[in-house]
Amino acid sequence: MTVLERTPGRSGPRSGSGAGSDPAAARRPGPRLRAARRVPPLVWAFLLVPLAVEMFWVFWPALNSFSLSFTRWRGVGPAEPVGWANYQRMLDDPVFATALVNNVVWVVGFGGLSVAGGLALAVALNRPGRGVGVYRSAIYLPMVISLAVTGLFWRVLYQPDGLVDRVLTPVGLGGTAWLANPDTALYAVLVAAVWRQVGYIMVLYLAGLKGVDASLEEAAAVDGANAWQRFWRIVVPQLRGVSTVVFAVTVIDSLRTFDIVWAMTRGGPYNQTQLLSTYMFQQSFSLVDLGYGSALAVVIFLLAIGFIITYLVRQARAED
Amino acid sequence: MSPIRTAHARTSRGPAALAAPSRRSFLVAVAAGLGSSAVLSGCVGSGGTESAPAGGGGASGGGGLVLQNSIQDEGPKAALTTLVEEYTAEPVTMNSVATEQFRAQLSTYLTSPNPPDVISWYAGSVANTYADQGLLLDVSDLWTGDGACASFPPALKALSTSGDDAQIFVPTNYYWWSIFYKKSAFEKWGVTPPETWDEFIALCEDLQGQGVIPLTNGIGTTPWMASGWFDYLDLRVNGAQYHRELLAGEHAFTDPEVVAVMDRYAEILPFFHPDQASWDNQQAAVPFVQDEAAMYLIGAFLTNYVPEDQLDDLDFFSVPVIDPSIPSAEEAPTDGFFASAGTADPEGTKAFLSYLASAESQAQWIAESGSANLPTNPDVDTSGFSPLVQKGIALLAGTEEITQFFNRDSSDALQTTADTALTQFIANPGDVQQILEQWQQAAEAVWSS
Repeated sequence: MTVLERTPGRSGPRSGSGAGSDPAAARRPGPRLRAARRVPPLVWAFLLVPLAVEMFWVFWPALNSFSLSFTRWRGVGPAEPVGWANYQRMLDDPVFATALVNNVVWVVGFGGLSVAGGLALAVALNRPGRGVGVYRSAIYLPMVISLAVTGLFWRVLYQPDGLVDRVLTPVGLGGTAWLANPDTALYAVLVAAVWRQVGYIMVLYLAGLKGVDASLEEAAAVDGANAWQRFWRIVVPQLRGVSTVVFAVTVIDSLRTFDIVWAMTRGGPYNQTQLLSTYMFQQSFSLVDLGYGSALAVVIFLLAIGFIITYLVRQARAED
Repeated sequence: MSPIRTAHARTSRGPAALAAPSRRSFLVAVAAGLGSSAVLSGCVGSGGTESAPAGGGGASGGGGLVLQNSIQDEGPKAALTTLVEEYTAEPVTMNSVATEQFRAQLSTYLTSPNPPDVISWYAGSVANTYADQGLLLDVSDLWTGDGACASFPPALKALSTSGDDAQIFVPTNYYWWSIFYKKSAFEKWGVTPPETWDEFIALCEDLQGQGVIPLTNGIGTTPWMASGWFDYLDLRVNGAQYHRELLAGEHAFTDPEVVAVMDRYAEILPFFHPDQASWDNQQAAVPFVQDEAAMYLIGAFLTNYVPEDQLDDLDFFSVPVIDPSIPSAEEAPTDGFFASAGTADPEGTKAFLSYLASAESQAQWIAESGSANLPTNPDVDTSGFSPLVQKGIALLAGTEEITQFFNRDSSDALQTTADTALTQFIANPGDVQQILEQWQQAAEAVWSS
């Protein structure tokens, strides 16, 4: 933010990165070493102390998790090395297969619905009018509630004879045990998760829409473009930057989804709503099978890191 | 990181132009959220060694004892707190941890260099597993001579004995499982408790004909409740010996014996409340209390879920006999305490365990907790207990075999396989063959690990 305000001519809206993060260095470019030497020791301290803490509390345990995934360990006594056995077990594990498929469903469903919903709401509410602020706040409000509480709250709504049941009975959809029926349970949880996420995405897009140049849209209107064309050809391309961020956030959020599923179904009925994260938790902490749990965690990590790297590479290319 | 900062710079133009401070703070939060989600995604995989806090932490010798426990229900917890406060020999710190977390961290407690001295948990296979690893204090001297547990029934002693013939557990109370019903409701519907399986089925049909749901259960977030019926049907069809062997991996879940159990289970499935899969075991008590459902196979902890003014109305009968040639058996999960082998003060720990096991402490705990649990100490004067509890004592005294419960007779890992198989079976009883095959496969993975 500060970068943009101080050097408006230098860094356009699309390059707030790289050298721009240190205005001094950007103005007097020199050998990198000299610039590093000029950094005061206090700043180094501020950089290195958190790094050390992060190394110890995050990266070291994460690395441990890698080595644990090649062992059998119940939390007591020495871990027994088993090679790739945990990963082989995964291949034959029907629950792992279910969880993997559910994760794909979740990424697509959660991502698709919350992005579509968030964008639609942002467009609908991106205009002055009475009560728009109230609507925006109301839609953002669920984001304030923790996922575990959201889960408990929706569990009550989904109860037999609960609110959802009563509302849907007149339309002929009553009598379904939403969370107990394996065909509906995952989607019922998905709705609750999207309900919470959609306001967040809306806020991101609302901010993006503020940056859309209104004169371009007017010009297109003068040229005879209809509202649909103006939206897809003029507005959406200008939202590209926000969209990539939204995309990244959503995929990362959906890969680390855990609490809402755990609070609503615990992966049940009979593992049909198990995600990789809930299955990992169950194996590691309910059953204290830390070797297999770690192997699952490694798979989640690889999926997440794989996505993040692809995304960063794409982003770097787009920046060039 | 750079794309995130780009977005921040970009999006912040809008609100700055509009001078809407509230939205600006929104965006700061948004940016913070972006940063944290990037960091957290890396954390997903960190659930390994270091993340579990050591928890508890024992007291070093002379400085008092630490009692780590997982008691959740209000009454029992308050009663234990009082007992601990009244212990005068040395100060005892009581740490209460939620059961799920307790279960996950139990091995961490026991292996920590400074473990809690006394730990509440279950008798049987779980305790024996830890004993085999040398983590539990040998309390055999409490079980001999004039020790606090010397007069306990032999069945309890056997249950508290580890593989190398030492006692490592101090049972302080247990409870029974049975089919509970309300006397007033049975009277209203004009029915009586059945003696045989055929009478039981006839009773269910009769109730269903009257528009009453015969059986309730809560297998939603407490899927292990489905094992209650499995255990009892196995005990009635194949007997306690077979049941124990089955859970120990000496038989297969695909055996014809287990298929016979599932046939019986299938027979009663139409009588269950259709919402049982949406409830936990406490919610399932609601239709029971409201006379919408007639019977509930559950532990005596049902008394915690029933309004006080209905407690006297509560009665039970044992799951009816299916094969009279099979020895009678009941489930009686046993709770109590064990101690860390690594305690700094073994004598003080044993003294405290003796205090908890004493007749006075047990009587006081049962009276104050308002639970229907039974004392393990035969010296407790039970004449003042409610008729329901008296009947429970008689039930367990009169049975030939006692088992605990699926998870306590096997392991939590095997319980998970049962949860999956049984809830799936209840939803799709027709797939029983396939479900049993999957169950066996999952169970073999547990037994071999």
